[in-house]
Amino acid sequence: MNSIIAFPARLAVWLLLAPLLPGIINKVKAWVAGRRGPPVLQLYYDLARLWRKGVVVSTLASPGFIAGPAVAWVAVLAAALLLPLGPLGASLSFRGDVILLLYLLALARFCTAWAALETGSAFEGMGAAREVSFAVLAEAAVVTAVLTLSLQSRSVSLSAMLVPAAGSGTLLLAVGLFTVLLAENCRVPFDDPNTHLELTMIHEVMVLDHSGPPLAAVLHGAAMKLLLFSVLLVQAVLPVGKLPPAAGAGALVAGVLVVTVAVGLVESLMARVAFRRVPLLLTTAFLLCVFALLIAWKGGAA
Amino acid sequence: MNDLLNLLIGLAMGLNLVALGTSRLPSLIRIAALQGMVLGIMPLVMEHELRVMLLAVAVATVSMKGLVIPALLRRAMRTANIDRDLDPLIGFLPSLLLGAAGMIGAVVLARRLPLRPEHHESLLVAGALASVLAGLLLLIGRSKAISQVCGYLILENGIYLFGLLLIHSTPLLVEGGILLDLTVAVFVIGIIVDRIQRAFDSLDTRKLTVLRE
Amino acid sequence: MTMGQLMALAILVLVAATLSGPRLPRVWLALTLAGTAALLGAALWALGGSAVWDWRSGFAVGGERLHFRLDAVSAWFLTLVAIVGGAGAVYTREYWPDHERPESAGRGRAWWSALVLCMGLVLQCANGLHFLMAWEAFALSAFFLITLERDRRETRAAGWLYLAASHAGTLGLFAFFSLLAARTGSWDLGPMKDHPELAPLFWVALFGFGVKAGLFPLHIWLPSAHANAPSQVSAIMSGVAIKMGLYGLVRFSGWLPLPAGAGWAVLALGAVSAVLGAAFTLAQSDLKRLLAYCSVENMGVILIGLGVGLLGAANGDTTWGRVAMAGALLHVWNHGLFKSLLFLAAGSVLHATGTREMSRLGGLWRAMPWTAGLFGFGAVAISALPPLNGFVSEWLVYLGLFDAAAGHVPVAVAIVPAAIALGVTGALALAAFVKAAAMVFLGAARTQNAAHAHECGWWMRAPMLTLAAACVGLALAPVVVWPFLRQPLGAWNPAWRGGEPPAPLAALGALQAALAALVAAAAGALWLRARANGLRRALTWDCGYAAPTTRMQYTSGSFAALAVGWFAWALRPERWLRWPRGPFPSRADHVERIPETVLERAIGPVSEVVMAASAWMRRRQQGRLPDYIFYLVAGLAAVGALVVFGGM
Repeated sequence: MNSIIAFPARLAVWLLLAPLLPGIINKVKAWVAGRRGPPVLQLYYDLARLWRKGVVVSTLASPGFIAGPAVAWVAVLAAALLLPLGPLGASLSFRGDVILLLYLLALARFCTAWAALETGSAFEGMGAAREVSFAVLAEAAVVTAVLTLSLQSRSVSLSAMLVPAAGSGTLLLAVGLFTVLLAENCRVPFDDPNTHLELTMIHEVMVLDHSGPPLAAVLHGAAMKLLLFSVLLVQAVLPVGKLPPAAGAGALVAGVLVVTVAVGLVESLMARVAFRRVPLLLTTAFLLCVFALLIAWKGGAA
Repeated sequence: MNDLLNLLIGLAMGLNLVALGTSRLPSLIRIAALQGMVLGIMPLVMEHELRVMLLAVAVATVSMKGLVIPALLRRAMRTANIDRDLDPLIGFLPSLLLGAAGMIGAVVLARRLPLRPEHHESLLVAGALASVLAGLLLLIGRSKAISQVCGYLILENGIYLFGLLLIHSTPLLVEGGILLDLTVAVFVIGIIVDRIQRAFDSLDTRKLTVLRE
Repeated sequence: MTMGQLMALAILVLVAATLSGPRLPRVWLALTLAGTAALLGAALWALGGSAVWDWRSGFAVGGERLHFRLDAVSAWFLTLVAIVGGAGAVYTREYWPDHERPESAGRGRAWWSALVLCMGLVLQCANGLHFLMAWEAFALSAFFLITLERDRRETRAAGWLYLAASHAGTLGLFAFFSLLAARTGSWDLGPMKDHPELAPLFWVALFGFGVKAGLFPLHIWLPSAHANAPSQVSAIMSGVAIKMGLYGLVRFSGWLPLPAGAGWAVLALGAVSAVLGAAFTLAQSDLKRLLAYCSVENMGVILIGLGVGLLGAANGDTTWGRVAMAGALLHVWNHGLFKSLLFLAAGSVLHATGTREMSRLGGLWRAMPWTAGLFGFGAVAISALPPLNGFVSEWLVYLGLFDAAAGHVPVAVAIVPAAIALGVTGALALAAFVKAAAMVFLGAARTQNAAHAHECGWWMRAPMLTLAAACVGLALAPVVVWPFLRQPLGAWNPAWRGGEPPAPLAALGALQAALAALVAAAAGALWLRARANGLRRALTWDCGYAAPTTRMQYTSGSFAALAVGWFAWALRPERWLRWPRGPFPSRADHVERIPETVLERAIGPVSEVVMAASAWMRRRQQGRLPDYIFYLVAGLAAVGALVVFGGM
């Protein structure tokens, strides 16, 4: 009924609010470290600047080098639009939309890795290899988490699925999903977005050679992905959809803020784990989701 | 009531997995200690009225498993000057997956066992089985003597959980006796570890097989 | 014209094509195209209407009357045979021409149309004996196609391995069909659900057809055969021929009563094939071997769908099993199309550079933009990414799994692990195809061969474009395919004959189309913006290193190393490492090889033991009469002992 208003509203949330999240994280980190830190809106300034800048393209790169970030950005945006946004709901809801969401994120990963490999740089190859390899374990965790939601809501559609059950299962799921969020968005303890040593990076090293508008697309896409995972996590844990619209919106915003601050705190207080420990951490996230799934299953059968 | 107990058992089971996944000796000791403390307060949760005997056993368990034994182990670790990295015979990831599979298996098995009705909803048996399994896995999969002691501790924690099933029929004195045995055993091992380290310059149990004859 | 006449025409034209193959390339191409077009027409006819073409002749072969039958299940697979058969024939003209391959081009053409013909016959034989004959002829023509280049040692070895494995499977089928005939009293095939005593035969069929379908661990012949065959042959082998094994499974699981564990076993086999197939895919460094292992993976995905379908049918369900089975059938088409496309593109690379080793390629997009684009397209499709067709079918399989899980069905114990396995498979396949496409086409050329590559001509490009167009059609308009898809679904399980699509296919198709348009628009807009801002070419950022070489690029082995390490228990990578030593190290080597684990670690050692035992036995066979008399007496004594003690 109000889809004419709701759709632009959703679009605005995803496009305009997403770059706030990295700003908040950086602010939290600065606050913990006792610095003043960059302004919360820093990413907006960066994006505006990058959008006006010229582009330097590797002599080896094909047109796919520019198309990659564009496709990845569209894929993340499309995935985000499938996700219900508290009282605003989802743009489109059908049976199995959650699988489309997962595979849109996979498409984004494919394109990012493709664009990284365009340059023939060993560093970017390394980052791409790590990204797609760790995604194997993260995917197991995400699919398990989605199955859990599906089992406890007896539905395969996102708008009906995000009805959290109270209990210890939800707690396990929250921790598992939070770990996946950190891994998928390449935050500490999996990756350090601030590092400048190419050998140790995952995501940042893949986009080393991007510049100008394509880099803006990459950064904006990464911010949207972070917001997407935060919104998913919050709605998987809090019954946002059941609350009255105003309260739901408030709960969603507060939840996303809490998640963002938590990311910032993790980043400030934890060190990055050694590379050989990353699979262990991801497996732990997977196991948490498995236990959440078993609890949801047992609860459903009883 | 029962929920709180199940939560504690769930916590203990989670700690089993953490123990299987950790790669550092000090954190392994810390985890075993934490699990001992969690187990120690369980009798208080299970009983409705607070008896002096119960309280005494709880205090003894927590202080022994949570404080004294870990302190002994840490001391042994320090005096023997052991390398703090665990040296796994079974990799951390496989042992984690095995532990999780064992845990699921334990829950499934516990639901099939003919238990008394009041234990049906409880995770006690499942937790006990899972802890025993995790302990055995640590004993098999870690080569250092002190990590094996930790495996032994976790194994004993599982047996302790079994013992809680009989809390109404068996006096807690038995539990007290076990605790005493355990302390003495760890104490002895702590001394032996020190001696072995001095004599052989290594604590790798694989190398101790040359002691036969 | 009736369907019977169309079929007869197709068969006759293909026979004529086979005869004209050795000498008359143009006539052969025209006849093969005509024959495959007729096959396609007949297949679509059968799929469009629900009519079943059933034809019994008075003419007997081997003492049995000929009996052909084309129902929707057969027609579904026949469509694929026709499309890939035609596309490959066109491709052959430039890829394997007389002037380059004077000794094998003619043979290749003849066996090609023979293979298409035999597969068509397998799909239509409704008599067990004739099915076996057609099956054997199909296996043999495939063997001759694989060994076209028989002066190469690897090709001969691959051919023999294929022949041996294929015959092991055929042995199973011999047992299957003769037991079937013995128990029903007739070689005639058809629905026989009312004979519950036939159920155990399913296991024999699973082995026999499983070998052909390349299911893990029966896939041992597949990688070397597909890698060493000429590329158009790899395309039809991987895209279509292994589907014949699947056809057998679908066909007879629809007709025969099934044992209780059938669905579970198929699901488990599918999950294992999918995950391990994908892990092996990622580990390969030979482009065509990589594609071959990926077939194992995709057969696993199809089998997961089939397994869920079997479980659904056994539980009398009408929703989740139907969706998953629809996904499995659709994936048969999808995989047939994009796998053929990928093999043809790989052939184009091989043609241009002379190597399949990915570490010797790189940067080919500049010289071969068409091939690069088409391979990239195929890579996105086979990684099951939206908006292409692989996603549609995998989405249906997922939906079946998720629906079953959400419904808390009794078999959820099998469903949930299968869904997780499918997720892991998807991520592994994505990694494998990013690697394959990037190592071959992106970056800088690693060798001179790669630097001097050339694009293929239109005779090779056109079939690839046709296959890609078919993929696009299936991707954007799955709802148009549904009327065809529901026919085999209804033929397989009459309870699922309904007309409604089992899933919101229309919504998905619209979304896929919108996504494709958006992706194109965004890429164009970003390109324009970059151009408007000023686009400058510069060297890749190399961290300030002074002497970069193309050998410093990430290779296929280094790209896969991380995930290969996690699967080392199955992949068993072999490494030979020579460290650089001394202050002025002379040389250092690192060689890594992923063995075909099942073949080299399980079947190889076992067969060596068998060979040793046979050698020992042979020494006992020296033609000395007293020995034979001794055997006779010993045998008699054994029989006597059996009589005496057995009676007690």
